[in-house]
This record gives sequence, C-alpha cells and structure tokens, in this order.
Amino acid sequence: MIISKSAISGLLDKLIAEYQVYAPVKEGAYSLFKQIKSGSEADFSNKNSKIPPKGILFPQSEKLFSYSVTPEGARVDECVDSAQKVIFGVRPCDAKSLLLLDNVFKNDKYEDPYYLTRRANTILVGMGCNDPAATCFCTSMNTGPFDSTGMDLLLVDTGDNYVVEAVSDKGRELAAKLGLAAAGDADNAAAAKVKEAAEVACQVTTEGLKAKLDGNFYDEIWDRVHEKCLGCGSCTYSCPTCHCFDIVDDAVDCNGCRIRNWDSCMYPLFTLHGSGHNPRTGGKERMRQRVMHKFKYFVDNFNATACVGCGRCIKNCPVNLDIREVLADILGSEARDK
Amino acid sequence: MQKLAAAIQDAAKKLLDDQKVDLVVGFARGSLPLRSTPGFIRKSCDAGKLTWDYSCENNLANYLRKREGKVAVVAKGCDTRAIVALIKENQINRDNLYIIGVPCSGMIDRNKADELLDGKELLEVEDKGDTLVLKGKGFAVEAKLADLCHDTCKTCCYGTPVVYDMLIGEPVPAKAEDNFDDVRAFEAKSPAERKKMLAEDLSKCIRCYACRNACPMCYCPECFVDCSTPVWIEKAPDTADNMLFQSVRVLHLAGRCVDCGACDRACPMGINLRGITRKMVKEVKELFGYEAGVNMEDKPALNEFTADDPQPFLVKE
Amino acid sequence: MQRNPYLPLPMKLVKNFTETEDKLIHTFTFEYLSEEDEKSFPYMPGQFAEICVFGKGEAPFGIASSPTEPGHLKFSVAKVGVVSTALHMMEEGTIVGMRGPLGNYYPLEQMKGKNVVIIGGGFAFTTLRSLATYMLKPEHRGDYGNLTVIYGARNPGLLLYKEELAEWDKRSDIDLVCTIDRPVEGWSGRVGFIPNVTKEVSPSSDNAVAIICGPPVMIKFTMPVLEECGFKPEQVIMSLENRMKCGIGMCGRCNVGSKYVCKDGPVFTRAELNQLPNEY
Repeated sequence: MIISKSAISGLLDKLIAEYQVYAPVKEGAYSLFKQIKSGSEADFSNKNSKIPPKGILFPQSEKLFSYSVTPEGARVDECVDSAQKVIFGVRPCDAKSLLLLDNVFKNDKYEDPYYLTRRANTILVGMGCNDPAATCFCTSMNTGPFDSTGMDLLLVDTGDNYVVEAVSDKGRELAAKLGLAAAGDADNAAAAKVKEAAEVACQVTTEGLKAKLDGNFYDEIWDRVHEKCLGCGSCTYSCPTCHCFDIVDDAVDCNGCRIRNWDSCMYPLFTLHGSGHNPRTGGKERMRQRVMHKFKYFVDNFNATACVGCGRCIKNCPVNLDIREVLADILGSEARDK
Repeated sequence: MQKLAAAIQDAAKKLLDDQKVDLVVGFARGSLPLRSTPGFIRKSCDAGKLTWDYSCENNLANYLRKREGKVAVVAKGCDTRAIVALIKENQINRDNLYIIGVPCSGMIDRNKADELLDGKELLEVEDKGDTLVLKGKGFAVEAKLADLCHDTCKTCCYGTPVVYDMLIGEPVPAKAEDNFDDVRAFEAKSPAERKKMLAEDLSKCIRCYACRNACPMCYCPECFVDCSTPVWIEKAPDTADNMLFQSVRVLHLAGRCVDCGACDRACPMGINLRGITRKMVKEVKELFGYEAGVNMEDKPALNEFTADDPQPFLVKE
Repeated sequence: MQRNPYLPLPMKLVKNFTETEDKLIHTFTFEYLSEEDEKSFPYMPGQFAEICVFGKGEAPFGIASSPTEPGHLKFSVAKVGVVSTALHMMEEGTIVGMRGPLGNYYPLEQMKGKNVVIIGGGFAFTTLRSLATYMLKPEHRGDYGNLTVIYGARNPGLLLYKEELAEWDKRSDIDLVCTIDRPVEGWSGRVGFIPNVTKEVSPSSDNAVAIICGPPVMIKFTMPVLEECGFKPEQVIMSLENRMKCGIGMCGRCNVGSKYVCKDGPVFTRAELNQLPNEY
C-alpha cells in the first residue's frame, strides 16, 4: 500500500474524526508525541521524539480512581481510559519498548487495567528510520530501523510517498478502512532500497554482558561508573522502557483520588524505608540498580533486555553519562579480588 | 585550547605524582559533539584524559561538597564562584581543595546549535578559532563561537576564576558590568504576561530534577519537593506545581545563586530557568549590593545582620 | 480482564488499641462491611495488605490476625510515616481501604509434620502471631510437631500481644520463651538478646524449620546461632520488608535482585536470599 506525503495531513484528519490521534509535534528544536487536533500539526522531520510515546499508554501522572468516604463505606469510581487511539509515526525502538512494557503490566498474578486497556485500544502506525542517529544503537538491542515488531502498520519513507506495510490484522483493518491504494512494484522496490540503505553505525557489544552482570554485583566497577551521575531522573523519564511509579492520594476532606506518577530509581526516596533505613544508600547502588534492572533482572524475568537502543538517555543526560560507555566499562572490568 | 588542555594535564599529573591530591576532578572528552564530560582522575597515567575547550559547561563544584581526602579541581570562573559560596556554607574545606583555575570566555550552548540546525543531527565540529563549522550528513554550517555561547556566559563578568591555587592561561579581559537587560525586559511585562510566559515555559517540565541536582548550591539532605509531612508540592508535573517548585527553588537560592546557569544547561526540555534565577540575582544585588561567590571576604547577604539594620525586625526594643 | 488490583476494599476500624507502653505501636482491628467482602479477602499467615487512609495514601503492613479468626483483620503498626501516623490518630468507626491479600505466605504445607521454631524481635512479631495462632488452632495443631516461640523486646512494655502471650505460656502445645534486653523489676522471664537466648534454648534442627523476623541486627547475630544448631539455609525462613507502593510487582521499587518482595515474597528461605544481593 502507499500514501502520498501530500495526503498525510488529510489522512490524519480522517483518523482524528474517529480516534484520539497522537503524532510527533515540533517544539523548537525537538519533537514530542502529542494528541493532535489537526493533521497539519504532525511533523515527522525529527529523528525521534525527545520523550518516548510510552506516556500515551502509561501517563506521567494519571488518576486511578476517585473516591468519596461516608460513615457507612466508601464509593470508589475507577477511571479506566478506553478511548480508541492511534499513535502515528512511532519509531521501531518505541514500538519494541511497548512489547517489553507488556511484560511488566501483566504478571502471573495481576493485570494493570489502566495500561492494558489503553494498549488494547491503541493502533500503532510505525515509521521506519531511513537515517538513524549517531546515538541510536537499536540493532545491538534486538531491534532495528525497520523492525516492525509490535506495530500494526509500518511506513517506509521513499521520498514523495510512504510505502505502507501491514503488520497485524488491526493494521490491515485500518488500512482497508482508510482505503489505501496498492503500491506499485517500483514503490516496493524503492522501499526495499531505503531499508537496505539505512545504517545504524553505532554497535554496542552485549555478548557476555548478562553473564558478567550475573556475577559482578559486588565488583569495584560500580564504585566508579556512577561517579559523575547527578542522580536526576532525566534518563529514566526519557527511557521508553522505564516504568517505575509511585502512588499518591490527592484529597480534600472525604473526597479525593488516587494518582500514580512516574518515579525514578535514581531518586534516594525511591527505596527509603519508613524507619530511615535505605537499602540503596547512594548513587553507586542506584546506578547499579538501573543497569542491573535493564540488562540482568529484566532478562532473568522476561528473557529480554529492557533497553531498545533509542539513545535518548545519552542525549538527555546533563553530564554526558553514556550508557554505551557504561556497558563497555562493565564488560572490560575485572572481578573484585576476593 | 589544546595548549590549555596540555597544561591542565601536566598540572594534574604533577599533583598526583607529588601526592598533593588523591583525585583531580576535571573534564574528559565526551561522547557527543560539543560535549565534554566530568572526569575523575586518580592515577597520573590517566591525566592525559583531561581536556579543555568550549564544551566544558558543567559546574564541577557540584562534585566537591563534603569530599574526603585532598582533591584538585579544574575550575572556570563560575565553578570558582560556586566553590567560594560553598566554602562559606562549610560544604567545602578550602584546605583540602587545590584549584586549577582556567579563565573562560564562554561555553557553547548545544541547544543553540540544535536550533541553528533545526533538528538536523550534528555529527562533527571543526574549530576555526572564532567560528565553528557544524557538520552533519549533507550539511556544513559555519557559526560564530560568540553566537553559540550560553546566555549566561554572555553576561558573565567573572570568566577569570575568583580564587585559585594555580591559573592556567591568560585572564580574560574585563567586561562591562552586567546590566540585567534580560531581567529588565521581563520586569517590563505586566504580571499577567509574566505569569503566562513562565507558565508556558514551565509546562514543559518533566520533574526530572536535573536543574536541582545540577545546581552546586542545591544540596539540602531533604528537598522540599520530597517532603511527605506536609506534602508541599504534588509529584505530578502540573504547570502550577512546576511554577511553585521553581519559585521555592529560586527563593531558597536568594543570595546563594552564583548565576552559573547549571540548572539551565541541565534541563533536557530546554526551559529558560536562568530567566527566573537571574531575577533574584538582580534583586539581591540591588538590595544588598551582594553577588554570591565573587570573593572570599564578603559575608553572604542573608547570613549576616547588623545591629543598625534600617529595619527594626532584628532588634528588640 | 481480572479484578482491578488497585481498588481498595472499604473496611471499618473497630478498635484502635495502644499496644506498647511507649505508645508507638497500635494494634488496629478492621471489620469487613459484608460477608461478600470477607470472601473476597482469603489470606494466609505471612501475607500483607496495603492499608489506605483516604486522603493520606497507602502503606503496606503484615497481617497480624490469622485466617482462623474470621470477621476481621488485625495489624500492629509503628508510627513512622504519613499513613501510620494518620492511623494512630484515627477514630474508631472510620472507614479505611484495604488492598490485598498481597504477597506469598509462610510455607505451611511444606512445614507439615515438622517441628517449628518461631523467632521474633520487637514489633516484627505481627505475621509471626498470625502464624502461631493458625498453627495452634486445634484442626491445624496436629499437622505440626513441636512449636517453639522465642520472642524478645527491649523491655516488657514493648512486647506485643501480652495477654495472648500469657495464654500461650499456660498451654502445653507451645513452648514460649519471652526475653527482654535488660533486667527489670517484676520480670520473671528471661533476660538477654535474642541471639543469646536462642543459643540457650538451642532448638534442634532435626526435621525442623526456623522462622525469623526482627530488626536487621537481631537477624545478623541470630543466623550464626541457628547455623550452629544445624539449621541449613533451606530450613530458615524470613520475611522481608522493602519500601513498596503497588504491592503487585509493577512499580519497581521493592526488588532484591530480580525478585520483587511484594509479589515473589515477602517470605523467602535463607537459601533463596543467599542467591540474591543484600539490598534489603
């Protein structure tokens, strides 16, 4: 199938009539995924959004339920968002991250209705990456610039057009609904050429990383890798797979609501006990947790690395603490002398 | 620049070889163009990793509070102002700190480069002295170094370190006094306009607290935003709460902010935080004739009182 | 989709009892509002619940009552944070929210036919009370061998559940050893720290399990004593506490290595913990 670039804005307008549509919107030099009211707001010129689109399914702050307490009991009204959504222009790394998050929000005992309901009602229209950034290392993290895993449709930019690949039944249905024209052989050939040409220059060695992390919790390497870290949440909030959250109440008298907010393992308060004891006392422990969670614990639990190589943490870190270098340092480090 | 870097390396090597210090905190090569990164050097053989150029924007005073052992730091003007302010607040022991001062004529704002390139990816930079050539796939844009500088650096009158044990390079020429034109433009607006402007900017805040953590003067063991009894501020990045967060931060930095712009530089969302902090810097300067951290002698504006204070609140009749 | 795990069950506080002499620990009894509610809360000793004080938030507490005590839930709570302070000041009759039961429980099936040694210190005796009460129930008592309880506090006033302890002391199917740190007038029981008293009691590890809860320093010094008594890591059971929010393995803060204390715990054997980093 094929869409002419000049028709994209109209096509988005068509979608907006039926869905909540989210697309990258330009904000100065960067772009952010936002709900658009008009197709003309969308802008696909940036390589990737400043903050990942995970917040559409797992908002930075969301109301779980509202309540009112009476002497006899409590009335609780849950606030599950079941609006039909389309995320248009999601990059392969971010689409992959949602598959990883699916593991988190549904475990052997519990299901998170907020994330899962949104997820079930969301269509992902992906956008391949013709020209991956220098900070992208997706191919080292089991995805790539045209990996359609997790998407419903994939768009390939061939210059004047987008060649559209249907990935899932949901995608096929949407394409049929939009009445997309079939792509000609020349268009498909052009798409294949674009895919071939896309190059992710940056490679990160992950061979042996898990084995190393299995045994290096007490190694000296952790005394150093965190040293310049300021302990802010810039990396975690810009990470498409970070999912830690906090739950708080906001109430006046007997009426209120329970809210969940993103939280970060880089904050000291994250693990502080009521007694004052903190199992992760300092920057060293917190940095170790972040790395271990992504590259060991998540692998232990879900057999996948909780990093998709989007490079946002590298770009957003105020002190240029580069995860690629951290991983290389860990792989090259020596075990602590016993 | 390369000469300065070599001199810094030599100084660090000597300090470590002579066991005058256990650690040198300086800048190392970063992993991105226009980006240096804080470096921690403990062995003299690693001194070669130290670097110096227009991308050493971080304030290294942040790494010096309550440190054990003897430490040397590579410090530009604003770093030394923060060091002075921290010494006065007993966060740094001057006796254990060796300051390798490096005069600075301004650091580059990567956001400005990004804006100039309109989102196109910068891959390489060619240094031509007064200008830089920003290169990427299929483009090369030449820009004046001065145009790419952080706004903080443009108004900064303390490029030459205010305190040091050794100075590497020539002091930068004196500049005309900061006239706070930016703050005056802000003040000229109506309160409603000001509020709108701040709200617009702070609606971008994601509450990563990079501004707070990058600030050398923000070191409260428990920040008010983290306090649970009472909850001063909600954790959700609501614009009104974001404004409250920055307002309290600025008030808490009254007479302490050294106008280094570290908060502004750290913000991943490009919020103009310096616009707010500088308003307070101006107020303190006008009210008390005080600038934080510019010399070792002045008492911090809000940490001092005199019996003949013009206002009676301190003196019991 | 399953039931929304974030929604609390409303329950009524029927008793706010000052448990210890220093007034820092209160025991709270909550009643279900309906039989249906009670059916929706089937729990076992060792599990915990998130108690929600509407307007203040939620916090996790181990359940001190036993499923053999129907109609209500009991918790003993130290006044440390926002939620616990609000609870301490709460009037009887107030409605709270209850989320649970959460986490795993003491391995009562695997413990069948074995001698059980329960060691508790300070106010970490809550889920141990649940466990002992469950085992002492006539229909369960026969499933287990000898039951020894070693319980200590700094002084007699800080022991929890004093009336029940007195009752247990009279029974022949439980061997209760209470101890306080320093001698006090009027105290006829043992004096000494838990590790030393455990050494004196020297429980046999033959066909036995030891269940130990208490402050970190008590655990640290009691472990070698249990080892001397011949307890293998597989025979020692502990219950961990870490800061928690969701209680259902999603919010990411209570992990110890790749295990979540809320979902995979809080009950672990020493052998399991030996495989994990010491972040608790």
